[in-house]
Amino acid sequence: MSKDLKLENLTKVFGNLVAVNRVNLEIREGEFVCLLGPSGCGKTTILRMITGFETPTEGKVIYFGKVINNLMPQQRDFGIIFQSYALFPNMNVQENIAFGLKMRRVPKKTLRERVNEMLDLVGLYDWRENYPAQLSGGQQQRVALARALAPNPSVLLLDEPLSALDAKIRVRLRAVIKRLQQELGITMIYVTHDQEEALAIADRVVVMELGKIKQEGSPLEIYKFPKSSFVADFVGTSNFFKGKRQRDKVQFKDWEFLVPGIESMSTEEIYLAVRPEKVEVMRPGETTEGLERSNLTHGRIEVITFLGAVVRLLISMDGEEIICDVVEKDFELKNLNRGDSVDLYFPPEAFLAYPSSSTEEEHASPE
Amino acid sequence: MDKAGIDTYAHPSIKFKIDKFIIIVVTVCIAAALVFFMLFPIGTILKMSFVKEGGFTLENYLKYFQNPRISRSLYNSFYVSIITMVITTILAFFYAYALQRTTIRGKGFFYIIAFMPLIAPSIMQALALIFLFGRNGLITAHFLKISWSIYGATGIIASEVLYCFPHAVVILYTTLSAVDTRLDEAAQSLGASSLKVFWKVTVPAAKYGLVSAAALTFNLTITDFGNPVVIGGDYNVLATEIFSQVTNLYRFDLGATISVILLVPSVCAFLINYYISKRGFALISGAARPFLQPSRTFKKWGFTIYCGLIAFAIMLVFATVIMGSFVKVWPYDWTLTLKHFHFPSLGGYASIWTSFKVSMAVGLLGAFSTLIAGYIVEKKRPFGVEFLYLLSVMPAAIPGLVMGLGYILAFNEPYYFFYGTPWIIVICVVICNFTLGTLSSVANLKNIDPSVEEAAISLGADSVRTFIKVIFPLSMVAFVQNFIYFFMRAMTTISAVIFLVTATIHLAAIEIIQLDNDGWTASANAMTTCIIAIVVGMLLVLRLLAGTRGFAGFGGATSAPSG
Repeated sequence: MSKDLKLENLTKVFGNLVAVNRVNLEIREGEFVCLLGPSGCGKTTILRMITGFETPTEGKVIYFGKVINNLMPQQRDFGIIFQSYALFPNMNVQENIAFGLKMRRVPKKTLRERVNEMLDLVGLYDWRENYPAQLSGGQQQRVALARALAPNPSVLLLDEPLSALDAKIRVRLRAVIKRLQQELGITMIYVTHDQEEALAIADRVVVMELGKIKQEGSPLEIYKFPKSSFVADFVGTSNFFKGKRQRDKVQFKDWEFLVPGIESMSTEEIYLAVRPEKVEVMRPGETTEGLERSNLTHGRIEVITFLGAVVRLLISMDGEEIICDVVEKDFELKNLNRGDSVDLYFPPEAFLAYPSSSTEEEHASPE
Repeated sequence: MDKAGIDTYAHPSIKFKIDKFIIIVVTVCIAAALVFFMLFPIGTILKMSFVKEGGFTLENYLKYFQNPRISRSLYNSFYVSIITMVITTILAFFYAYALQRTTIRGKGFFYIIAFMPLIAPSIMQALALIFLFGRNGLITAHFLKISWSIYGATGIIASEVLYCFPHAVVILYTTLSAVDTRLDEAAQSLGASSLKVFWKVTVPAAKYGLVSAAALTFNLTITDFGNPVVIGGDYNVLATEIFSQVTNLYRFDLGATISVILLVPSVCAFLINYYISKRGFALISGAARPFLQPSRTFKKWGFTIYCGLIAFAIMLVFATVIMGSFVKVWPYDWTLTLKHFHFPSLGGYASIWTSFKVSMAVGLLGAFSTLIAGYIVEKKRPFGVEFLYLLSVMPAAIPGLVMGLGYILAFNEPYYFFYGTPWIIVICVVICNFTLGTLSSVANLKNIDPSVEEAAISLGADSVRTFIKVIFPLSMVAFVQNFIYFFMRAMTTISAVIFLVTATIHLAAIEIIQLDNDGWTASANAMTTCIIAIVVGMLLVLRLLAGTRGFAGFGGATSAPSG
């Protein structure tokens, strides 16, 4: 039997708040899974139930084919990384790393070898005599990684491990974590509210809202095919229109957008979502041949934000604000400026459509 | 109830099953100890005062109120306590105000001086005042040549004000640091005069602190024994009346009855303080320390003189007692001598040695037990933790004298093996001061990130090892502070232990009273000087230890070790 982790109908109620609501999830051995969601969505509570710091109100945590609800945290073969690093301030780096091994009464020689191995793994050998207070945030979190990995756990649980760090170090440490996961083949469950981080790091992303799983899938799936307007909004950036469906068209203000494949939808009210990079920005007069005329509109550039490889434009379309991302090269080529009038094109296949009532249903609270 | 396929549950191993119980066992042990060593003695006192020949009776209380000489003690106690309360609160408020809200020089000096009375027994003030204003007082008899002397209510009030002053300053100093000075500035910018700002903004904003300081002062005064017994003369208060009923007349029933009467205002003052401090905490936020406008010259001078006078009074008390123990015949013959240190009483130097040993034991036991109690209350929160918390804060409501009387009434049985040994003194002092120790442990443990403990647990540490390897080292500073507190209390307390000393076990603080009682006033001063020296010595030793690396690494993120 492999060391899979399974959550069955996992539920946690605090007072009259349902923090986690019948969550079912299977995590295979060696998989890197991200729990993604806004604060208060229950992702950390799930993690704490896996670690054993919270007892499920209902449901089971199954590991290695056994229900482990009653196991003390000490007996679960899991390492944990905390947002606040949680290093022992009274111990230096190598004493911190050795702690878990000492608790397992590992022989001295093995212990020293293992600690050195871990110091090398996170590149802190020269800092082994230092105390946590003398290290930077990034270094502290690397010590925490080494400390959690030293007893060789089969699952590593990370609770917003990079939130307290600044952007550059966050990206670098993200790569360190990903590399460690691949080298060691360890199962990682990673909790974050940062969608960019989740998409970048995980094999599988689990998006949560209000204690429930909204969608799970590979980062690409989640980004390209969000199943609900919540996911479309939370993961990446989207422009939203709420309109009325008439056969294969959606009426929004004065526009009628052609959206293929919506005839079968259950409701008349419809949410349309479109990613900023899918919207095409053209100088007036550029050729519009072969384009669907009803999906062609006009607007005026209000704000230009330079993001590096892409340029983000805020375009006012009759008072409606649309975000468009243009590749930097095109932006230069087209010589776009603030205040310019432009043509906007929404390719029919770029639209994601959601029945508007479905969101109400999804937001409904549990019994 | 399981579907086919998953019917195997993992069960915790024996080791961790036991671990789950450790916290419960420790909780029950501490709660049981508090019940046995606090509630049981108090219960015995209640029983003794209300029960006679197996039936409920109010006879004792009738007797108390019918005897005008004894019942006057209730009025006397309230009289001195209320006056002391008013004077001390006002004096301490302006003192704290000067330290927090003005830009006078020498704040560090004034701060340290204010806390000096804490290192001496609450008898020193009375001894000093007698040397200064007594029948042969330096000022009254020697300088002014008048026959007026300070014995009685005036003496008690004066000495209690000096004794309670640091306690009130602690509270008001914290309160005034928490109240937002921007309020004052806002009011000023709206055109209010400084005096108006003071009365309309500063004082109302500090009202919780004022009430809390007043309640504490009242409680300290009404329960104090050392000062009134020395300077009170014929002016009897509840505490001295309990003592004389029990020690001189062997009327344990009346002693118990007066104890219950003393318990009532003391518990009320405690409840007020408890309620206020709970509300007051909301005010103390982590707001940044605001910039203080330079005070005007007039204000600066006024407050400097004010603080200087109070500091002078406190130093004068110390100087008098210390000088008094080294000169031949105060105030006539100023030749220096060590003869007062040849203690003529039974205990002598042995009593100092016993006091030191007892205080070490109290310091260690107190610091450990309150750390564990605080850990359970703040971090572990097992079922019934509210009960443990209630038990832990209750000792502050019980006067030491009442507790001590409860001990001799409850434990004077052959099967209580600790009775008549120094251990009963150790336990009594620990219990009497349990509240403050626990509260400061809790305050310290609040600062430890819960993740640190969870990290230890997730790495395989059980409760005991988590405590020893992580919690204890991180609480080292608080532990040492609590040790000092308990040590100081044990060295200086009189009321809690006066009933517990025996023909063979003498304590230095009690020797002072006996020496004074037998007319060896200078030797009483010498004994006080010895106690002060030991407390100061201990403070210095721990300060030196704290300076070395041994403690430096434990300050968490705030103090990085240099190694």
